[in-house]
Amino acid sequence: MTSHPVEATGLVRRFGDLTAVAGIDLAVEEGEIFGFLGPNGAGKSTTVRMLVTLLRPSGGSARVAGHDIVKNPTAVRRAIGVALQDAAIDPLMTGNELLRLQAVLHGLGRKESATRTSDLLERVGLTAAADRRVGQYSGGMRRRLDLALALVHRPMVLFLDEPTTGLDPTSRLAVWEEVRILNAEGTTVFLTTQYLEEADQLAGRIAIIDDGRIVREGDPRSLKEAVGDPTLRVEVSDAAMMETARAVLATFGEERPARVGRLAIGLAGGAGRLADVVRALDDQGVPVAHIELDSPSLDDVFADATGRRLEGANSAQPE
Amino acid sequence: MTATLARARWRVGVEQAGALVTRSVVNTWRQPGSWIPSIVFPLMMAAVYSAQFERAIDLPGFPDVDSFVQFILPASILQGISFNAGEAGTELALDIESGFFDRLIASPVARQSILIGRMGGGAVFSGGLAAALMVVFALVGAPIEGGIVSAVAIVLIAAWLSLAIGGFSIAVALRTGSSEATQSLFPLTFMMIFVSSAFFPTGLMSGWYQSVAEVNPFTLIVDPTRRLALDGFSFADFGRALFWSGVVASVSLSLAYRMYLGRLRRS
Repeated sequence: MTSHPVEATGLVRRFGDLTAVAGIDLAVEEGEIFGFLGPNGAGKSTTVRMLVTLLRPSGGSARVAGHDIVKNPTAVRRAIGVALQDAAIDPLMTGNELLRLQAVLHGLGRKESATRTSDLLERVGLTAAADRRVGQYSGGMRRRLDLALALVHRPMVLFLDEPTTGLDPTSRLAVWEEVRILNAEGTTVFLTTQYLEEADQLAGRIAIIDDGRIVREGDPRSLKEAVGDPTLRVEVSDAAMMETARAVLATFGEERPARVGRLAIGLAGGAGRLADVVRALDDQGVPVAHIELDSPSLDDVFADATGRRLEGANSAQPE
Repeated sequence: MTATLARARWRVGVEQAGALVTRSVVNTWRQPGSWIPSIVFPLMMAAVYSAQFERAIDLPGFPDVDSFVQFILPASILQGISFNAGEAGTELALDIESGFFDRLIASPVARQSILIGRMGGGAVFSGGLAAALMVVFALVGAPIEGGIVSAVAIVLIAAWLSLAIGGFSIAVALRTGSSEATQSLFPLTFMMIFVSSAFFPTGLMSGWYQSVAEVNPFTLIVDPTRRLALDGFSFADFGRALFWSGVVASVSLSLAYRMYLGRLRRS
């Protein structure tokens, strides 16, 4: 397989006068979880639909698993697993029946289908519900089944389009865990999400898309660091030592606004300097009641790139 | 991937089409609301029409039958099939609306298998429906005079005709992707059944109605089917019913396939 399981060059999709995807370049590394982050309507799902051969690009090119998505779509379909946004699962069929059907659609023989179905049901914790109609499943169970369906033929690349939208926190954590396990087993995962926390938790690298264009790309830490220094907040337990603390902290970065009784600076050099700060405060005898370091969030990254906050920010945080 | 390559492509295609036919049949069976009217409504119509027109069988020019119920059997089967064939299109439209159709085309399944699966399921169900209606008619004293051979022939005609009628609803489903739009086709089919020899012999009609009924494809299919039921099996009648169903099917299936390719291209 190519070293880039997913690569796109100048990918464009227009719907009449509307340009949903306006020329994006992507290169997903083998074995990574690539997060495709953006608000509703940014072009995430349109991009995925092109990459999984459900939508023909208006311009540009893309290769998935080494195959051109326009010239050789069947080869692409054989190599990928797809779980689309709405978990389109036939509610009249049982989980068992759906998995067997999916296996047949991917060309597996009867015996292999039966074995694979049984393995996957166990893997996603649906063995007990295997013979129940999917219409009786909860949202989380449907998502897990959807994931199992995408895995039935052991795909090289797994496309997950907003896999946890609408799920409760427990179900969301279960899906995250399964995605991590799959990735640890070597599956390359292309994950679209509108949830910052999800991208932050799962993705090794992310691309932020807005208005059909990629506005930032990189690993989440670097992207956040690029926004600026993290904010260090220090609460001093002895008010008489406030000025001493301020003087010490000033040597590590610019002072930032803070609540009464606290000091805050932009910590130049980031988290790597935290130990130095603690040591310097201790050397000067400053009694520290509380210390915290807040990195810029992906929402800050998005805001820095677009001037807007991401819709639904933080709404995916498991409780 | 390796599994697909290792096994003969045709065999995989047949298995895929078979799995999709099974899915279609099972889904229809699990929605009694979608097929019970296909049996109940034609039987109700048969009961009402028989009570209304029982004495019509004595009219000169009326086929030689024991009862109006016996005469109306092919009409009831045709009604049941048209209900059921319309459902095939509606179910496909629902697959499109729900995104299940996308799931199918995102897999490496042979493109033809998706259509064959949906339409084949409708055909199998229609064959069963015809058999069920014949049993009910036999129980109320209107058996198939042609015996088991004629009955099997009628089942096969029903399945084939289901493809012919279903092709139109499948075409609308593929073009519009809307279950409501697909269902709106049903009254048209129903009207065509009425303007045919399904409920009354064309020889006893008059004027434009008779002219239309005589060239209505449903008349050309119902008449030989009725002779199979009343007079016994003949290859000529069996062939005629299959031929005219085939003529309708060639139009509807071509249209459906064209719409299918159009939908795949638009995606």
